Amino acid sequence: MTMLGGVPILAAEEKPAAAPEGTTNYKGETPPVNVGVIGCGAWGREILKTLSTITFAPVVAVCDHYPAYLRRGANLVPKAEKYADYKELLANKDVQAVIVATPSHLHKEFVLAALKAGKHVYCEAPLATTIDDARAIATAAKKHPKLNFQPGLQNRSDKQIVNLIKFVRSGVVGTNLCGRAQFHKKMSWRIATSNPEREAEMNWRLMNATSGGLVGELGVHQLDIANWFYSATPVSAEGVGALSHYKDDGRDVFDNVSATLRYPNGIYFNYEATIANSFDGEMGMFFGSDAAIMMRERRAWMFKEADAPALGWEVYAKKDQFYKESGMVLKAGATKQDAQTAKAAASDVVDEKSGLQYALENFLINSYNLGAGVKDFLDTYGEGSEDDLKAFLKEQGKNREPAADYQDGYEATATAIKANEAILKEGKLEMGKEWFQLA
Amino acid sequence: MKLKTTYWTWGTVAALTLAVAAQAADSVRLTSKPGSKVSIDGTSSIHEWTVEGAIIKGAFEVEPEFLSDKSLKSVKSLTTDGACPKAEISIPIRSLKSGKQKMDEIMQEAMKATEHKEIVYKLTAMKVKGDVPATGTPVKFDTKGDLTIAGATQPCEMEVTMNRLDDGKVKFIGEKKLKMTDFKIAPPSPQIPGMDRITTGDDITIKFEWLTAPAK
Repeated sequence: MTMLGGVPILAAEEKPAAAPEGTTNYKGETPPVNVGVIGCGAWGREILKTLSTITFAPVVAVCDHYPAYLRRGANLVPKAEKYADYKELLANKDVQAVIVATPSHLHKEFVLAALKAGKHVYCEAPLATTIDDARAIATAAKKHPKLNFQPGLQNRSDKQIVNLIKFVRSGVVGTNLCGRAQFHKKMSWRIATSNPEREAEMNWRLMNATSGGLVGELGVHQLDIANWFYSATPVSAEGVGALSHYKDDGRDVFDNVSATLRYPNGIYFNYEATIANSFDGEMGMFFGSDAAIMMRERRAWMFKEADAPALGWEVYAKKDQFYKESGMVLKAGATKQDAQTAKAAASDVVDEKSGLQYALENFLINSYNLGAGVKDFLDTYGEGSEDDLKAFLKEQGKNREPAADYQDGYEATATAIKANEAILKEGKLEMGKEWFQLA
Repeated sequence: MKLKTTYWTWGTVAALTLAVAAQAADSVRLTSKPGSKVSIDGTSSIHEWTVEGAIIKGAFEVEPEFLSDKSLKSVKSLTTDGACPKAEISIPIRSLKSGKQKMDEIMQEAMKATEHKEIVYKLTAMKVKGDVPATGTPVKFDTKGDLTIAGATQPCEMEVTMNRLDDGKVKFIGEKKLKMTDFKIAPPSPQIPGMDRITTGDDITIKFEWLTAPAK
């Protein structure tokens, strides 16, 4: 990595200093929340693996109606009860929180039943593949204020990206002009199976009847960041797409897509995805009159204009070279103190935790705190008026660990669904404000 | 003869019922209402800190005159030695929030919240301090009580102000400076990666606004 002078700012872990005499080393333990996971496909198993690294996330139940997936999921959590029928998992009183990792077009049934059964719910993103389903899920979550609902928009919990957005809110970008995001990865997106009957079921992503397409399934996270970055939802979407490379395998989902979303104040954002070429991978750019921000996976850099106001810490910033440009590294947990250490200078580690781990941890912490708050309130003040409880929960909500809520989930899902619609009809859709509002 | 026995029995029941009713009327019970607030302020080597909560469980039991006689002169438990209203309140430690989950967890560990889930206060003496305004509010009291934190009990004297609110609710307000070490709590000194070790000051101040209303 080219260094352009200055001292790098990194969140490197240092060895704890020897404790001064009389000091205590309380670490604090996060109370556990019992988890049930519905859906043990590849992503469900990734979730199970991540949960196994979290000390306060005992997985007590797993469910999949396909025996081979259930077996593979259960292998990762040998102590968990195994269920082929999700209704039995929901009837298990030990399960406090449910993670729904089924195909997107099937989420609604599981989420609605889980909320009805009094479970906290983490629903993978996108929430759904139709506006009606997404709205039904978000509305149900809204109607259960005593239960924590979190869509699987993990960036909203990822310390690296939460920190970046906070930094952007300080106004460093200047006037927002435009942005773009891309996903480039050569992959068939087809899941191989020796069981022909399972073929269609497993490859739900490849058919428009069951899939949100590339923008729906992959783009939803990047479009969510655009909504978050601009604190807005789009006013229109235009798109084009084509099935060019994988056209002979029976799918009808495009393998190359491009959509332009228009945000208020003239800002536009281009999203582009292909699964037939890998060049330049996954990245996002936000352009403003004072600086451009580049995001690559979980890392970010800032490219300042020469006439932009000085920030005062440029001299400390670690810089990376991109062809003719030099970008200042933006990183959570970076302090000037860290920058003074030799280890920090050598380290190039982004974060020891994954975005998914942050998201699941925050989901469980928020679920516990909400449940505990509701119980303490009702034990102390009785059922009383609904307004008193709502006021209490609103106040308590300010202490929520960073996480997407039902509104964020609905807005990102609706943005992705409408962008996909524009791509499929190769035209322009005006997006009414009311599309993003929940009853 | 049989008839007479029955009369006796009914008479006994009636007498008992009256006695119970009379006893019940000896006190009114004010119970916690939403809108109660509690906070603990402290210091550390990096900045001052505060945890806040909105849960205060408990009840205040006192003679019925407490509600009718705003001068409180006829309320013996608040004016004569040896008598005292009954009050026991508790605050779940997990309901105290700093806004930072990790800080909350460190506080809960320091306060041994797994074994001792609540801060408990039991009133042992409460006497009107100074004059009671004609409106009956605000009134100051000198109070004594037993305060239990992390399983350790210490006597606790403090001045408490009572406000009678327009809607019939009664708010008790007070604050008390304490030392963590008096309750056998070692002030936390957590090590956050990338920072100097943080040390917490021994002195803390607990403040409360306990909103109550007569139980129906």
